Amino acid sequence: MIYLDNFRSTMVAPEVWEAMHTAAIDKYAVPAAFTQCGTGAAELIERAQNRLAAAIGASQNEIVFTGSATEAINIALLGSARAQAIDKPEIVTSEIEYPATLAVYKALEKEGYTAHYIKVDGEGRYDLDQLSSVLNEHTAMVSLMGVNHMIGTIEPLARAGDVIADASQRAGRKIPYHVDFASALQTQRLDVDAVRADLVSFSSNKIHGPKGVGALYVRKGTRMRPITFGAESYSPLVPGTPNTMGIAGFDKAVELLYATFDRDVEHMRSLVQRLATGIQTHIPHILLNGPEGAERAASHLCYSFLFIEGEAIMMFLDMDEIIVDTGSACAAATLKPNYILIAIGRNHEQAHGSIRFTLSRYSTEADVDTALAKLVPIVERLRAQSTIRPPAE
Amino acid sequence: MAIKYTAKVIEHFKSPHNIGIIENADASATEGSPACGDEITVYLKIDKATDRIEDVKFQSYGCASNIATGSIITDLAKGKTIDEAEAITWKQAADELGGLPPVKMHCSVLAVDGLRSAILKYKKEVKGIDYDSTLDVKTVTEELKHVLWPPVGVDIITLQMVKYIGIDQGAVKVEVSINADDKFLDPTVDEIIEHVSKIKGVKSVGVENV
Repeated sequence: MIYLDNFRSTMVAPEVWEAMHTAAIDKYAVPAAFTQCGTGAAELIERAQNRLAAAIGASQNEIVFTGSATEAINIALLGSARAQAIDKPEIVTSEIEYPATLAVYKALEKEGYTAHYIKVDGEGRYDLDQLSSVLNEHTAMVSLMGVNHMIGTIEPLARAGDVIADASQRAGRKIPYHVDFASALQTQRLDVDAVRADLVSFSSNKIHGPKGVGALYVRKGTRMRPITFGAESYSPLVPGTPNTMGIAGFDKAVELLYATFDRDVEHMRSLVQRLATGIQTHIPHILLNGPEGAERAASHLCYSFLFIEGEAIMMFLDMDEIIVDTGSACAAATLKPNYILIAIGRNHEQAHGSIRFTLSRYSTEADVDTALAKLVPIVERLRAQSTIRPPAE
Repeated sequence: MAIKYTAKVIEHFKSPHNIGIIENADASATEGSPACGDEITVYLKIDKATDRIEDVKFQSYGCASNIATGSIITDLAKGKTIDEAEAITWKQAADELGGLPPVKMHCSVLAVDGLRSAILKYKKEVKGIDYDSTLDVKTVTEELKHVLWPPVGVDIITLQMVKYIGIDQGAVKVEVSINADDKFLDPTVDEIIEHVSKIKGVKSVGVENV
């Protein structure tokens, strides 16, 4: 199998599985003081906190582990919004956020919050002028993302952080800034101070860690109210027995990520370039979704193949054991075209034929060459039987 | 819940029967699905003495189930008289494929609509028979039986989701009852408008969620 859907989820690295196995067998106690096995589990969590914290310029007790990035986003947004007493509160995000963020915003709108969804340009970059214009003394929260999962755009997080800092000064209080870094962790380094983020969400399964684990950075001093309640282990934000096995896996995944980070990013960038060149050379009538070059996540490629439909392309590739994703309405459970492609100005038909290729450090030249070799005749064949004809050359 | 195609769907998707164009077809028609943007064109070659379908081909701008239903519907129609072919239902097409995921049932409606439209065109243009359907509540109701509720793949009339149909000098008003939050509300409203607009004499369509 050639797996090119790593923005959805990744293979668990063998070393990660080994670390999880060890944790499950040896470190199964509930983290606590005084007993040897309890201390061992607590140290496991501390080590994981320290490693992630060191990578992003944070400190150990600013990191908590969650059940997923979705849960981290919920804790961050709901927990921070509810901890503030603001008259007529307003919340700000963009049109192209991850579904978890948009779902929390919808839920907060029902609680009486006014939400602003800032627009993006044709390549998915945030409109920071619009961001600046909507921030005011009522703003309770801003949530943005590091890399867009559908179109690979690297967002201007630090410049957005400056805009929010200016607005905070005008408002006379800190406006909490949440960053969804789930899709960015694989290819982007993060310094929480440079970005001026107060809250950052992470996902384990996007970097070859296990599913069922995420993390949340909470800057010291950020006012938070827990959204779930129970026995406290190491943080009131995440009550209950910690998933030590999952955390051990995530920790190993973070260790592996940074051990070969620059080399892996270059490797993925060159493979993506190889695939992009191949597609551009062999397939006419295509549109690149998202930016080119350095403004795009190194492992990400997304094209619309015009005059044909993405689910059909995806299924033909699947029969050849090549796994990709599509933003076609046909493949969506809602029968709607992907909202991010619509937000960057693609019409329904252009979204219809979109295919997303997302690589990992395990991807090889042979993977990319095989995928291209299979893709070309699939597109030709579907075009030959389509009701829509390319314009005559 | 896993959305999975039957082996028969995959087989017809991989190697669709009757794919292509008939040059000098006796009739052809294109139908589009507002639900997900798919489109199908059906071409007919008909023996004018017997009104039997000698050849039928189709093209698809669509997903796997669109291609598979086009394949199966053209298989079913080939060799039949136009009246027999017109009687083929989307349920038959879906059954022949061993079933379709509920959310994909509208693809079989699309394929059947394509075939029927081509036959009606032939009847009108070649045979001079024009079904001048009068615009009334019954016609609109019949047309709305082609609009499926995606979660279950059953039409909105059978599911009693249509609460009122009003007609006033070509302006059709349809009242449906769908949860305002439902993710399928918008695609379903679009599909109602698309279908009702096709009926002869319709000047405007208004859909209200009550």
